[in-house]
Amino acid sequence: MIAVAEEIGEHIVALLPRLRRFARALSRNQHDADDLTQAAVERALRHRDQFRAGANLASWMFGIMKNAWIDMRRARGRRGEVALPEDTGDHPVVAPIDASASLWAVSEAMDKLPEEQRLAVALVLVEGMSYKEAAAVLEVPIGTLTSRLARGRTALAAALGDAS
Amino acid sequence: MNYDDETLMAFTDGELDQRQRTEIAAALERDPALARRVQQHRALREKVAGAFAPLMEQPVPEHLSKLARVAVQPERGGNVVKFPARGSRAPSPPWRAREWGAMAASVLLGVLISWKVLTPGPVPVTAQNGALRASGPLAAALDSQLASTQSGSEAVLIGLTFRGTDGHYCRSFLLRAAGTAGLACRTNGEWRIPVTAAAAGSEAMRQAASMPPEVLAAIGARLSGDALDASQEQSALKAGWDTPAVR
Repeated sequence: MIAVAEEIGEHIVALLPRLRRFARALSRNQHDADDLTQAAVERALRHRDQFRAGANLASWMFGIMKNAWIDMRRARGRRGEVALPEDTGDHPVVAPIDASASLWAVSEAMDKLPEEQRLAVALVLVEGMSYKEAAAVLEVPIGTLTSRLARGRTALAAALGDAS
Repeated sequence: MNYDDETLMAFTDGELDQRQRTEIAAALERDPALARRVQQHRALREKVAGAFAPLMEQPVPEHLSKLARVAVQPERGGNVVKFPARGSRAPSPPWRAREWGAMAASVLLGVLISWKVLTPGPVPVTAQNGALRASGPLAAALDSQLASTQSGSEAVLIGLTFRGTDGHYCRSFLLRAAGTAGLACRTNGEWRIPVTAAAAGSEAMRQAASMPPEVLAAIGARLSGDALDASQEQSALKAGWDTPAVR
């Protein structure tokens, strides 16, 4: 579908809403999500020659974003920036203004998942990818993806409870 | 037969083969406890997907779309298809009726071929004066189906419903059997279809929320304000979709 590398920018523009959604599912707030989106887009444009014509641009971009996210976490971890204080409860004042109540609740619950489970949940439940597509983005066997997904779901269900 | 959680999750995610699906669907009829577990998995999936879904309607910050466009070499820019920026109020590029007609005809052919092969009964789209109109099962779904109450197994899935920049209602849809997604906008008592695109992949076949880029671009060009929530969608349906245009 994408004939030349020069056109990739426009296709990425069209993917931006989904990329931002995936980024928001990984990071805790919209600000970090947009930083991550920017990092992923820059990386994709730098490496656009590596994109094979006819391959799925969305899968390629999500893979790049996954790597950018892991690098970002690592860099911030070293500088101690992700060591945010644990939220103790339901304080509307600390809810980011971009978040609806349900986004806030789900986001908080996802933030507590181990990274690999969060990635699996974000790709399959938020982005609606098939197991095969999600496993390819994460570069793991399908069995690994499904067990991470199952553990992530069980933890989310417990965190969100039946009432919310 | 007892099923583990991973199998039931895969059932919820549409990842089982036909034989396992049928087997579990039959077991659900007999076993309320099993049905309850499946319902819990489904509810979690919907809750998580639903929490993030509204982000698809947010305008993308301009610095991000500008950044991606930097890659397009200026001297070749003339040949590149320009997608309108999301959140922009500018109307779509003024294509001549002739060009629309040519595209409508080829798109229609694609939709009809894939539809007819897979589905008996009336066709979902017809062409008239170079414009595509929803008909048959698609028109029925656009008229009467609510995104908030659909089960996901309908032949047509409704995605976003919103008011376009001209005040008319638009709804994105997915013809599952035809593998085609599109946008329909209410004009003079019928649903006109400005854009359709192939929705490839199992992901697109399950979720009306994930639309191909062409459809997203068309939504972005028309969207003013927020998409309707469940209750607004219901009121708009009750009102028959025909509202006076607001400027």
